[in-house]
Amino acid sequence: MDPVAAAVFASWTLDLKLVCLLLAAAALYLRGWLRLRAEMPRKYPAGRLAAFAGGLCALLLALASPVDTFGGLLLQAHMIQHLLLLMVAPPLILLGQPVLPLLRGLPRRVFRDALGPFLSCLELRQLGRALVHPVVSWFAMAAAIVVWHLPRFYELGLHSQSWHRVEHACFFWSAVMFWWPVVGVWPSNPVWPRWAMIPYLGLADLVNTGLSAVLTFSDHVLYPSYQLSPRLWGISALDDQAAAGAIMWVPGSIAFLVPAVMLGMRAFESGRAQGVQPATIPRVGVPRIRARAPWDLLQTPILGTILRYRHFRRCVQAGMLLLAGVVTGDGLFGPQIAPMNLAGVLPWTHWRGLAVIVLLMAGNLFCMACPFTLPRDLARKFVAPRYRWPKRLRSKWIAAGLLAAYLWGYEALAPWDSPRLTAWIILGYFITAFVVDSLFKGASFCKYVCPIGQFHFVHALVSPLQVKVREPAVCGSCDTHDCIRGNDRQRGCELHLFQPRKLGNFDCTFCLDCVQACPQQNVGILRVLPGESLRDDRRGSGIGRLNRRPDVAALVLILVFGAFVNAAGMTEPVMMWMHRWHARLELRSMVPIVTVLYAGGLLIVPGISAGACGWLSVRWAQAGFAWKDLTCSFTLALIPVGFAMWLAHFSNHLFTGWSSWIPAIERFLRVHSGNYPPALSPSWLPCLEFLFLDLGLLLTLYTTWRVACRVVHGGRRALRVMSPWVVLTASLYAAGLWIVFQPMQMRGTMLMH
Amino acid sequence: MTPPKLLLPVLMILTQAAAFADGGAVQFRQEAGGFAITVFTSPAPLSAGAVDISLLLQNRNGLEPVLDASVSLLLRAQDSGAEIHARATREQARNKLLYAAPVTLPESGRWNLTITIMRNGERTEAMGTMDVAPTSEMVASYWGYIAFPPLVIAAFFAHEWLLRRRMQLRIELRIKRCEII
Repeated sequence: MDPVAAAVFASWTLDLKLVCLLLAAAALYLRGWLRLRAEMPRKYPAGRLAAFAGGLCALLLALASPVDTFGGLLLQAHMIQHLLLLMVAPPLILLGQPVLPLLRGLPRRVFRDALGPFLSCLELRQLGRALVHPVVSWFAMAAAIVVWHLPRFYELGLHSQSWHRVEHACFFWSAVMFWWPVVGVWPSNPVWPRWAMIPYLGLADLVNTGLSAVLTFSDHVLYPSYQLSPRLWGISALDDQAAAGAIMWVPGSIAFLVPAVMLGMRAFESGRAQGVQPATIPRVGVPRIRARAPWDLLQTPILGTILRYRHFRRCVQAGMLLLAGVVTGDGLFGPQIAPMNLAGVLPWTHWRGLAVIVLLMAGNLFCMACPFTLPRDLARKFVAPRYRWPKRLRSKWIAAGLLAAYLWGYEALAPWDSPRLTAWIILGYFITAFVVDSLFKGASFCKYVCPIGQFHFVHALVSPLQVKVREPAVCGSCDTHDCIRGNDRQRGCELHLFQPRKLGNFDCTFCLDCVQACPQQNVGILRVLPGESLRDDRRGSGIGRLNRRPDVAALVLILVFGAFVNAAGMTEPVMMWMHRWHARLELRSMVPIVTVLYAGGLLIVPGISAGACGWLSVRWAQAGFAWKDLTCSFTLALIPVGFAMWLAHFSNHLFTGWSSWIPAIERFLRVHSGNYPPALSPSWLPCLEFLFLDLGLLLTLYTTWRVACRVVHGGRRALRVMSPWVVLTASLYAAGLWIVFQPMQMRGTMLMH
Repeated sequence: MTPPKLLLPVLMILTQAAAFADGGAVQFRQEAGGFAITVFTSPAPLSAGAVDISLLLQNRNGLEPVLDASVSLLLRAQDSGAEIHARATREQARNKLLYAAPVTLPESGRWNLTITIMRNGERTEAMGTMDVAPTSEMVASYWGYIAFPPLVIAAFFAHEWLLRRRMQLRIELRIKRCEII
């Protein structure tokens, strides 16, 4: 093939968002079509599916193929794109009769609970009927075509991405409105008789013809951008415009006239004009929500079998132990240049990023694979611990303090830039876990000491998976309680979480001891709504009432505010601020400045903010609530927005510096390829970070609303009670947005050195 | 089953076409050696931060695209003298007729762009200038993500209001039925 032609055909602009949207629409439609086909096979033959799929393909061609790529250079290409958006994709999609399949494809709860009030709202239904009334829809498409082809607006679309998208959205959706009465989308009632669609289409063709004639016969270039664009293949701007007009004229007219002729032939064959059809549409009931067994990861093929394997955890822990050993060894004895050392790269860039992503997608799998507890498990085969963890220390205060110290130490001591210090931190972790759990029974290190564990426990409260019982009734007849007591072949839960009364993922290490111990095999890893347990006021086994525990609230505040302080500390403006004060005060080291920043950011500001918000909430609740209880309840609701910031921050480092392991591994293995991909931030990364922040904000606000409704039983009082927390959440969100826009130090990568 | 026409306004608000004309805005066009060179930049308007610089190389006479050249770029800020070197390749371009290089412009202001083209052992150079806007303009390009939460919140409150109204209507209906009975 000619190289130029090959280059043209290879010029696709695949946008991830577009592809995901089209795939989601296709999956929804397919799911609903399969269900409807089982009920009404004649109404939903394979042709409907093919038409809908064809419409989606036409959309993809319009928005991602070389037609889109060359639209800015050639008006002809741009015109083909518009034709696809106006006259190919919408009628094909509507021929698939998409409404019922898309609705039936949704999860039943989304369809009934989320969309139900909107679908049954009289005013919105009237609005919908008005939008697809032939008069309204005809004028909508005619206006869209004429206005957007005026030179002023056409140029606006060419010069601005956002307006270009608006233009395409106008074309597509006005065309959906236009073709709706022509296709006769089911199960809506047609407003006009079918023969009226003939003049409807004919008049639309007149508009199209008029506009096409202007483009074809104009003696000057209407759109200056094409005058300025480089000419390809010797095509002049005026010839290009004339060709575009011809494309709009001929295929455009065919798109209008063919359906008009077909409708005319049908009317002729029927022998009479068809009047408005009476409502012969069969009733399609809203599907009932039947109780189904929740999705269980342990019941999935292959993966479920692997997870249920008795020694699965040991194998994973052994692998992680080996990796930790290699990293520690390289950190102690390897070169002390962070980007060239495994200890400078893997823990700070890859492990942190992967850990939060796994938390988001699954749950606390890090603790499942934790290597720090493996040595103590082996030691316990020879020496059993003798003591119980002191009662006065059975809280999260120690862990919260250690976490604050860890976050301070990360900035003050810069372990990310010192492989040896990182290695000593890892070793210290092993030693501490070994000593604590050799002396004290249960998983005292995990539950009361480990800062990393607390990070995962707190954020696993918004994970989509949870270890929980499948059938509560089965546990009702159990009196051995193997899940917590253990039995001859398996120990029970070392974190004292009794499965029938377990609430959420807090303190759960996903060790699956309960799964192995339960003789009824009634414990699984089930799908849950993210953040469900944040709104639950019940007492949970082993954790009490989370929303009444000040130690948990303190832990949450350190983690939430720590997310923003930790990220901000790596941005250029904050670093420059710290250096300015360092110079102004003539200090020898940055440690005092960092200490002030972290003391303020982790202790003072969160304490004052949460305290003030709690005081205002108590005042506006006017119902004699305890300040402590209310503050703790609302503090838990901040977890999603804090988790979102951790996600945004760590994914930034992970995806920007994902290739940073290559030079370290090659140096360790003594190979040299010299082929290092550039550490450039992908263009989609800011979008992902904004998406995380948006979702975190929304989940926090929703949780805050539910907590407020529980406290004061809904309504305007709930809005008043939650308003201080809304302001706090919005402030954190705004801080997160600001951080994302700032240049960030890429620690542990070649970009730093 | 409720009429489906309502789905249309809901979907119209939710979705938008995601597309962008490749290459971006034309910065300048020059003829140098045997080439006609057109320089594009995106985003539009050009602002400090991550940008994409694309070039279309054409034979000066027949305007056929040239696809086998080696292109390098040198950008120099007129104010501070900061320099950026980059190689423009077709692999980095979405439009495979263009040569593209992603660069990060650290500051706004006027930048000089020097293009060096090597083809068949011959070297050709062209120069031009670009005006770069401050970074704050980038915020506008992410307006959709900032507008998303308020839209969802508005939809949520509309949902809650509709639910309450439906419940009230049902209660009133039951009261009327009781009264009739």
